[in-house]
Amino acid sequence: MTNRLGNPAYRRYGRRMVPLSLLYVGAIMLATRFIPDNAPADARTIGLALLPGLAILGWIWAMGRLLVELEDEYLRMLEVRKFLVATGLTLAVCSVWGLLQVFAPAVPKLPLFFVFPLWALGLFAGVLFNRLTLGGNGGA
Amino acid sequence: MKELRAERGWSQQDLAERLDVSRQSVNAIETGKYDPSLPLAFRIAEVFAMRIEDIFLKG
Repeated sequence: MTNRLGNPAYRRYGRRMVPLSLLYVGAIMLATRFIPDNAPADARTIGLALLPGLAILGWIWAMGRLLVELEDEYLRMLEVRKFLVATGLTLAVCSVWGLLQVFAPAVPKLPLFFVFPLWALGLFAGVLFNRLTLGGNGGA
Repeated sequence: MKELRAERGWSQQDLAERLDVSRQSVNAIETGKYDPSLPLAFRIAEVFAMRIEDIFLKG
């Protein structure tokens, strides 16, 4: 195992994430194109709206598989630490913002849609945390 | 471990390939930032043809 690109687990991860990301973008474009702002919550609307969700479920599955398939225990630990930092940050932001929404209703609502992007941003914080505490590239 | 590797004239990459791990793993173990699992410690001992306790210090 020479580097990230040479690691079979990361290569499989990339091969899974690229088509899932294309599916996500395509599904978002479809939903934007065919669901008008005042659309009724019928089966067609709900089906189109849930389509990008399939890609997100796929991303989560691919990330889980990465942890299972990474045989290099140090690289796996870096990934797990990134996931933990991202999860901690997401829980912190959502919980605190949720309390604000309850007790200070004037605060803008945080749409649930943003939870996953927020978690993905947390991965970058995880990379920084790894770099600061362990050196190296932090699992970037 | 760094000394043992140097005695054999191996680079971190050489040792990583012998252990089937990344160079980052070797570096993290050598710099004390990561303690290897027992199975990896056994592989390291095997590669150096030594006992685990002769390679790693307690604590």
